[in-house]
Order: sequence, then structure tokens, then C-alpha cells
Amino acid sequence: MELTYTPEQNAFRAEVRAWMAAHVPAEPLKTLEGREGFDQHVAWERTLASGNWGMVTWPEAYGGRGLDLIRWLIFEEEYYRAGAPLRANQNGIFLLGPTIMEYGTEAQKARFLTPMARGEVMWAQAWSEPNAGSDMAAIRSRAVRDGDDYVISGQKTWSSRAAFADWCFGIFRTDPDSKRHKGLSFILVPLDAPGVTIRPIRQLHGETGFAEIFFDEVRVPVANRIAGEGEGWNVAMATAGFERGLMLRSPARFQAAARRLVDLYRAHADTAPLGAREAVLQAWMDAQAYALNTYAVAATVMAGGHIGAEASLNKIFWSELDRAAHRTAMSLMGARAELRTLENSTANAWQEGYIFSLSGPIYAGSNEIQRNIIAERLLGLPR
Amino acid sequence: MDFRLTQDQIDLRDAVRDYLAGEHGPEVLRRLDVEGGRDAALWQGLIGMGLGGLLVAEAHGGLGLGLVEAALVAVELGRANVSEPIADTALVAAPLLPAAHQAAIAAGTLKVALAHPVNPWIADLAGADLVLAGGTTVAPPASPTPLDSVDPLRRLYAPLPAVADDDALLERAALITAAQLIGAAEQMLTLATDYAKTREQFGQPIGGFQAIKHHLATVAVKLEFARPLLWRAAWALEQGHARAALHVSHAKVAATDTAVLAAETAIQVHGAMGYTYEVDLHFWMKRGWALAGAWGDRAFHQHRLAAAVLDGDMTLDPDATFASDILLQAS
Ligand SMILES: Cc1cc2nc3c(=O)[nH]c(=O)nc-3n(C[C@H](O)[C@H](O)[C@H](O)COP(=O)(O)OP(=O)(O)OC[C@H]3O[C@@H](n4cnc5c(N)ncnc54)[C@H](O)[C@@H]3O)c2cc1C
Repeated sequence: MELTYTPEQNAFRAEVRAWMAAHVPAEPLKTLEGREGFDQHVAWERTLASGNWGMVTWPEAYGGRGLDLIRWLIFEEEYYRAGAPLRANQNGIFLLGPTIMEYGTEAQKARFLTPMARGEVMWAQAWSEPNAGSDMAAIRSRAVRDGDDYVISGQKTWSSRAAFADWCFGIFRTDPDSKRHKGLSFILVPLDAPGVTIRPIRQLHGETGFAEIFFDEVRVPVANRIAGEGEGWNVAMATAGFERGLMLRSPARFQAAARRLVDLYRAHADTAPLGAREAVLQAWMDAQAYALNTYAVAATVMAGGHIGAEASLNKIFWSELDRAAHRTAMSLMGARAELRTLENSTANAWQEGYIFSLSGPIYAGSNEIQRNIIAERLLGLPR
Repeated sequence: MDFRLTQDQIDLRDAVRDYLAGEHGPEVLRRLDVEGGRDAALWQGLIGMGLGGLLVAEAHGGLGLGLVEAALVAVELGRANVSEPIADTALVAAPLLPAAHQAAIAAGTLKVALAHPVNPWIADLAGADLVLAGGTTVAPPASPTPLDSVDPLRRLYAPLPAVADDDALLERAALITAAQLIGAAEQMLTLATDYAKTREQFGQPIGGFQAIKHHLATVAVKLEFARPLLWRAAWALEQGHARAALHVSHAKVAATDTAVLAAETAIQVHGAMGYTYEVDLHFWMKRGWALAGAWGDRAFHQHRLAAAVLDGDMTLDPDATFASDILLQAS
């Protein structure tokens, strides 16, 4: 155990800090969940790419810097410390990217990864269907083989930022006679292909942050399939592991929020409800605990270890600490928490954050499903 | 930066765990509860494992290990519900005493009781050869006044008058107490999980019911995020880090909350069985209850943290997780 950074790691931190100080927009961008804000965020992705910061852990050949996970965590700490924007391409860089890295062919890596890291192609995840939410094995959308193409028909839903994205990665039934987990394939589809219709859905906050995607005989080449035909479920589970595990929600995001919560508490200490002092402290403590655990997991992975069902512990912890922290912020704002046009945008950001925090326990596999996984796979209770 | 236990640390932990699983099972707890005291053979066994000298330099007959190893061992002591004063004597007091005392502790011939104004009691004062109090050692009183604990295996006595504060003692003891709470919580989760796999109702193991699964999964989450706090606190204290006391407080609060959640959950999962004296679970539940208040209760450690985090000017940015250069605010 060694809990100090090396001089090289400190130098790297200084480099990131200096770059962020020079480049992070002074004014907060509009919300990522609306068209205008999304475009602003894409512009920011291009700025990041100009500094070669798109995805620092990826190999240089694919637009990365080939850095290890400790440097990734340092990068994230500096990123959120500087108040940099959320990542417009998070579904691409954090979910699909690692999946292609693990299961893609060389040709697929060469074709898809670099534009992803450079913020040139934005990705949406197209897994959920109206009747396949938690029970994803109930997927019905079909991809029928026709020579060197698949012809895709069906409907996906809840696809984050699909209204603004360029491509989606979906899971489709390639074997019409198959049931449940078998016969599914992982296929990449351009969202401007003929036969694709996107219908935006307004989220709790009113912005069209996710969408339904309708596929009407959409033709894509077989070369767009990741891994073998019928192996979609296993690939998807690996992707879900990235989603719940290390990458998607890095601890710095919650630590930065906890620090802001402390500021909010100080500004409202005189009128804070009785429990607020404890709740604010707990939010800070939990964000720290999440960071420490992530460093521990990163060290294990760097030493060749693997995270499996443990990712479910993670997903529950970050989503519940985030919701609790934002609930506490609302309680500190008191009666003014209702007002949409507050004197400063920080207060509005807390409201948006509170709304978004309510989705954390649902997306990336609901926390009920995560608790089932922990009980069955980690504790060995009967299915 | 490498937040992992070393192979040596893992081997040490496993050896202690295996030893205690063999020599210090629940039948020992039941026997001690009836016989009402400490057990010289158990003490000798722990000394034979080298635990007396864990923190004592090799030159004085010890293993010369540090606080991370001490915390690892203390987790195992908590898991096995060991009541012999080995944690207080060897894992807390030894490094704070002169070399001759340390050698005696390593050899198993000296037991030390710990007096500190934060506790309204002294554990194992009868049977102690020395009392560490206010940064010095004193002889134990001839006839200490016993106090009753909710924990049937704790042996408590009235505190000595006017003992001065001793930060070094407090931080170490709070760390080792947090470790024992983690061990107790892990054991309670194991007991409840095992019970849920075997107890059947409605024609199936109760562990197949989702309500039971979710209760136990919630304990597993709590434990997962309490453990790294313990390792960081141990490491920081070992390094003499300026923030170490805060890390200890954080670990102690988290360990306490985890042990309480594990106890309440484990009892619920056991149904009426969990409400009996016959089922061993109560030993850990009561140890958790007792240690929750020991060496700074929840309020003490929360206030200390709040003074720094909410009222002080400690850096709270994401890059400060491992910061060592910030001095503790006066609390
Ligand atoms: C903000 C947001 C973004 C999203 N983005 C995407 C995206 O980009 N792409 C995509 O494909 N999907 C996305 N989703 C969809 C998400 O994956 C699903 O919402 C999630 O899997 C749950 O499915 P569901 O909504 O159909 O709820 P349901 O499955 O209908 O669940 C409803 C309730 O029942 C509970 N429940 C269901 N089954 C069980 C069970 N076996 N045991 C116990 N409780 C159970 C759930 O936990 C939940 O509380 C997003 C969702 C949200 C909220």
C-alpha cells in the first residue's frame, strides 16, 4: 500500500490543471439534454480533443495518451475541480469504446475509436425497449440477415441524447427463433440511415434528453456487428460492467458536488434544517469513500484483477449518494428551492442536478436489479 | 499510488483468520460467557501466533509491522469476537511504551489497560499489569470497581480519576476499534447470509425472497465502502499525516454505522431466532453496540470531522483525497 502520488503523477496533475485553467469555458454551458446545450458540449469535446484529452487511457493509435487508471483518476479530479462540462459523448467513450477495445476487430477499432476520442462522432445506446427494461433479455427488435447486410426492424426507447447523436449501438435479435439471452447481437447503426425515425421524449426537467428510435427495415452491413452473431448478450454485459464500474461515474464528479454542497451549507447555515449539518457531512464522507474505493479498484485492475459483480456495489453507492446530496441541497434552499429563476445559476444547477440524481438509481440497471445481483452473485443466495 | 494490500498483508490476515476460525469459534464465546472470565490458554495462543509482538521491533522480539497490519489483524479479532486484551495491549499500547515493556508484550508476559477521558470505563483493568494513562504508565488499582457492559464478554471497570488527554493513544485506539467493528459487521453479514440459505419458509430458503436479498445486499454495499476508509486511516496514522486524525474519525463513524446496520439486518433476517440468547449472533451485535461508543462515540468523531469540513478551511476539492499537508483545524 502506497497512498502518495509519484513526482510524475504530480507533474501530470499540474499539466492537466494548467490546461483546464486555460480552456474550461468561464460560463457554464446550457444543459446537455437539449439541442443548443448539446451542440455547445460537442464544441467542448473538440476543444478537449485539440489538447489530446479526449480519452487519456486509450492507446495513442486511437486518439488517446495510453495512460494508466491512476492518471485517469487524476485527470478526472482536475477536470471536475476546474468545473469542466459533462461529457457529451459519454455513451461512446465510456461504454462503447471499452467494448470495441475488448471485442472489436482491428478494422472496427481503427474505424470507430479515433473519431470517438476526438469528439467527431456522437453515440447513443439503444438497448431498452418498451417491453424490455430491467428484463433486457425480452428484446424483440430484429436484425435479419440478408447477404452481407442486416435488415433491422423494431423499436428502442429511453435512448439518451439519441435525438442529437450520430450513431447508436444496439442489441437486436438476429435469430428469430431464439429466446431470452440467446440469439442477440450487438450492432452499430448510423442514425441517419434510411428507415430510422427518432421521436424525442421530454424528461422530468422538460428537455428532450432521451428518445425513442424506430427501425423500419434499416439496412446495415454485417461488418457493423461487434463480436459474433448471437454473442450480443455477453458483449452487452461487459459494456454494462463498464457502465456500472470504473468509468462512467468517476468519483471526482461527486467530490466536486460535495464541495459545492459544503459551500451551499455555509451560505444557508442559519436557516438550515436540523438534519442538514449531518447530511452535508455525510455527503462529503460518502464522496470520499467512493473515491477511495475507486482507487482501490483501479489498483486491482492495474495489477491484472477483474471487476465482475462488484460493479453493482459501486453503482448503488454512487447513485444513492448523489441523490442524497442533491436532496440535501434542496432542503438547504428551503422555500426558494421551488423558484426556477433564482438570482444565480448555481442554484438552478442544483435543481437540475436534483432532477438528474433521481434517474441514477434507475439507469445503468436499476438499483433493485443491482441488489439482486449482489445477493445472488456475491453473497450466493438462491436465484 | 497503489491502494492494495500486499501479498504479505493478505497472508498475515488469512493466517490469523484461519487460526481464529479453528481456535476461537462460537463454542468458545459460549464457554467464556458461562465461565465469566478471560482464558490463559487463549491468550497464549494469540501470543504464539505472534500477535503480541506485531508492532514490536524485531530487536525486541516482535515482527516490526505497522498499523495497516495491526488494523488487518484487528478486523479478524472483531470477526472472531476475541475478548482477550490483545488489541489494547499489543495493537494499541505497545508502540507507545518503552522497549522493555514492548519486549514483555511480545513475549506475552505483560497486559496493558488503557485509560483515557473519552471513555467512561477502562476495559480489562483487573488482570492488567500496567495502565497507560495520560501518556505515562501507572500501576492498576488494587481493587478496581467493576462496571456492567451490555456485552457479556467485555470486562469494564470504573475510570481512574483525572487522567489527562493523550491524542496518540486516542487515534490508535479509535482506529483499532473501527477495525474490530468492521470485522464484527462482516461476521454478522456472513451469519445472516448463511442462515438465509438454510432456513426454509413457504417451501424455499428465505434467501430466495427478494426482501431478504435486498437487506443483505445493502449491508454488503455499506461494508464495501467502509473498508477503504479503514486502510487509509491506518496508513495515514502510520505516516504521521496531518490529516490522520480526521481519517480515523471518518473510518470510525463509517465502521460504527456499518456494524449497527449489519446487526439490525442480521437480527431481522433471523426472525425470532435472532431475538434469542441461544443463537450466537447476539455476541457480535453487542460487541458492535459496545464498540460504537468506545474511543470516541459517533458524536465525538462527527463533530471532529464537521469542525474541519464544514467550519474549517480544509481543502475539499477532489484532488485532496490523499492530501497530507493540511493541518487539522482546532476542534
Ligand atoms: C435518464 C435515463 C437514461 C437512460 N438512457 C438509456 C440509454 O441511453 N439507452 C438505453 O437503452 N436505456 C436507457 N435508459 C433506460 C434504462 O436502462 C431503464 O430505465 C432501466 O433498465 C429500467 O427499465 P424500465 O425503465 O423499463 O423499468 P422497469 O424494468 O419497468 O422497472 C420498474 C421498477 O420495477 C423494478 N423491477 C423490475 N424488475 C425487477 C426485479 N426483477 N426485481 C425487483 N425489482 C424489479 C425496477 O427496479 C423499477 O423500480 C435510461 C433511463 C433513464 C432513466
